[in-house]
Amino acid sequence: MSMLLEVQGLHVEIPLAAGILKAVRNVSFSVVRGKTHALVGESGCGKSLTALAIMNLLPQSAIRCCERLSFNGQDLASTNERHMANIRGNKIAMIFQEPMTSLNPCYTIGNQMQEALLRHRRVTRKEALDRAVFLLEKVGITAAESRLKQYPHQLSGGLRQRVMIAMGLMCGPPLIIADEPTTALDVTIQAQILSLLKGLQQEFDMGMILITHDLGIVARVADRVSVMYCGQVVETGDVTQIFENPLHPYTQGLMDCIPIPGKTQPGEHLGSIPGIVPTPIGDMTGCTFRNRCPFVSKACAESGVALHEISAGRAYQCLLSPEVCAQNLRGSAAI
Amino acid sequence: MSDAVLQTHDLNKTYTVSAGLFKGKKFLKAVNGVNLVLEKGSVLGLVGESGCGKSTVAKLILRLEGVTSGRISFDGQDISATPRKEVARRIQPVFQDPYASLNPRKSISSIISLPLRVHRVGEPKSWHRKVEEIMDIVGLPPRFRHSYPNQLSGGQRQRVAVARALIMRPEIVICDEPTSALDVSVQSQILNLLMDLRKDFGLTYIVISHDLAVVEHLASRVAVMYLGRIVEEAPASDLFKCPRHPYTKALLASVLTPEPRKGLPETHLGIAYPNPIDPPAGCTFHPRCPKATELCQTTPPNPRSDAGRLVECHFPEQ
Repeated sequence: MSMLLEVQGLHVEIPLAAGILKAVRNVSFSVVRGKTHALVGESGCGKSLTALAIMNLLPQSAIRCCERLSFNGQDLASTNERHMANIRGNKIAMIFQEPMTSLNPCYTIGNQMQEALLRHRRVTRKEALDRAVFLLEKVGITAAESRLKQYPHQLSGGLRQRVMIAMGLMCGPPLIIADEPTTALDVTIQAQILSLLKGLQQEFDMGMILITHDLGIVARVADRVSVMYCGQVVETGDVTQIFENPLHPYTQGLMDCIPIPGKTQPGEHLGSIPGIVPTPIGDMTGCTFRNRCPFVSKACAESGVALHEISAGRAYQCLLSPEVCAQNLRGSAAI
Repeated sequence: MSDAVLQTHDLNKTYTVSAGLFKGKKFLKAVNGVNLVLEKGSVLGLVGESGCGKSTVAKLILRLEGVTSGRISFDGQDISATPRKEVARRIQPVFQDPYASLNPRKSISSIISLPLRVHRVGEPKSWHRKVEEIMDIVGLPPRFRHSYPNQLSGGQRQRVAVARALIMRPEIVICDEPTSALDVSVQSQILNLLMDLRKDFGLTYIVISHDLAVVEHLASRVAVMYLGRIVEEAPASDLFKCPRHPYTKALLASVLTPEPRKGLPETHLGIAYPNPIDPPAGCTFHPRCPKATELCQTTPPNPRSDAGRLVECHFPEQ
């Protein structure tokens, strides 16, 4: 297994009038070729900003700093914009959410698709368009050649999302970042798009960072998961560990919240996490989840709540011991 | 069924769409012969892909759109003969996006009390008390009274929308995708709230959603819509246990439950949702149906009903 991307100690801060918004704090994870790492969390937890920070596409006012950001052995943290532009779309591609807004309405599909290839490779327009047709067929679009002349508004949401995926694959990138790739789609199409992504990933041996808030998607697609809360990774592990034995009270709470056909009793109360997500402005000491945590204690407000590893690749950020956490899970399941 | 509060009879809604300059008009049948029975105190779930007409049904019932043909009867009376205000007093909506459905320039108390002002209920002095009462019921702290929507989180905004719908104590609440704009932890709070309110006020809900897990959790009956028609309708538990229409089956299969060892489902549906302006002949589902035969391509199936279930398919599952 070759390490594709390594992120260590990533911070993103955005200065606002009210203070410094610490949008991403000390986030570390790594992506291996052919595997999917999911970043999951609620809106505003910093998962999209993490992706933008990797691509160096943050808003101008945002400040990024990190201990280590390496891609295929190259250091991305100190690289200049010119070099980064050579990597973007070429080595790391991004599939944005909402294909309605991320495709340019003024250009044809073919025009937008060939752009990345013409920028990064020495190919003719004809070759670029051939590749576009090849990929459109790969993602299951019929009559690909005639689609190239169409504009985004002439395609349905599902087709547009397929075009976005094909566009991301134009240069055959080793790493793809999929930011909520199916949020705007119907359930029936969602399953198809996800199998498509997964199939292409296997075929081209790509690493993938999957950003989503949907635990169902994470469970079915990801290999490794980082659960984010308020800018921090609160729990990380293999997908089966996270879903079958969640340790952090937040992860456990999230699992309780979703109705599952066949498991939750219809009409009965679902579990819920009281309160709302705090805004990470100013000094943030202690555990950020303590205001909503059912197992809160005095020590939670003090500093020193850090992500600790319990076995290789399995870590969580809570003062409680893994045994107590596992017991909490069983306790809440009994109620 | 004597305790039906709302019934639709062969409901149709056709929109005219321009086919292009000098090309005349085309017709889009958004709702095509929908018969629904809503029993008092029950929860009817309407599911289907986007564009299948489920929101249009809601708009017709709310009288936000006029029907092309067919009848909606509410408590035995034709809804089109009842004054619109009267309908609005008894049927209220909760919309999908709480970021778009609240006026950003009005304070929360003014948003919630709007129905009281429109219907001139009681003394203006008592409105203030009523607003506080309903805010308490939906779990909004009274200090938000003078806040504006932008100061509230998504879940709190949706609570405001629920409070506004409930302040007139309606009989039917139509929830159009009530939680799809919300985060998971907030979604469960709103679902719990909706269930509590139903019990406390004896409400009847129509829940429109594309999230089948949500519908299964709330609904007592479920109607599955496809291209403006109801293709299957059954009590929720039966429908989820043994779906009879192939489309329902595919919909259920594509629900992604958080079970990591299962992998992704194969629905065999194909991508193409047909163009509603130019629907396929015969059974409208046949181009995507794995079981389609020649009969399906030519003859539209008749609805069959037995044991409280309705299915519109030539070859339903038993």
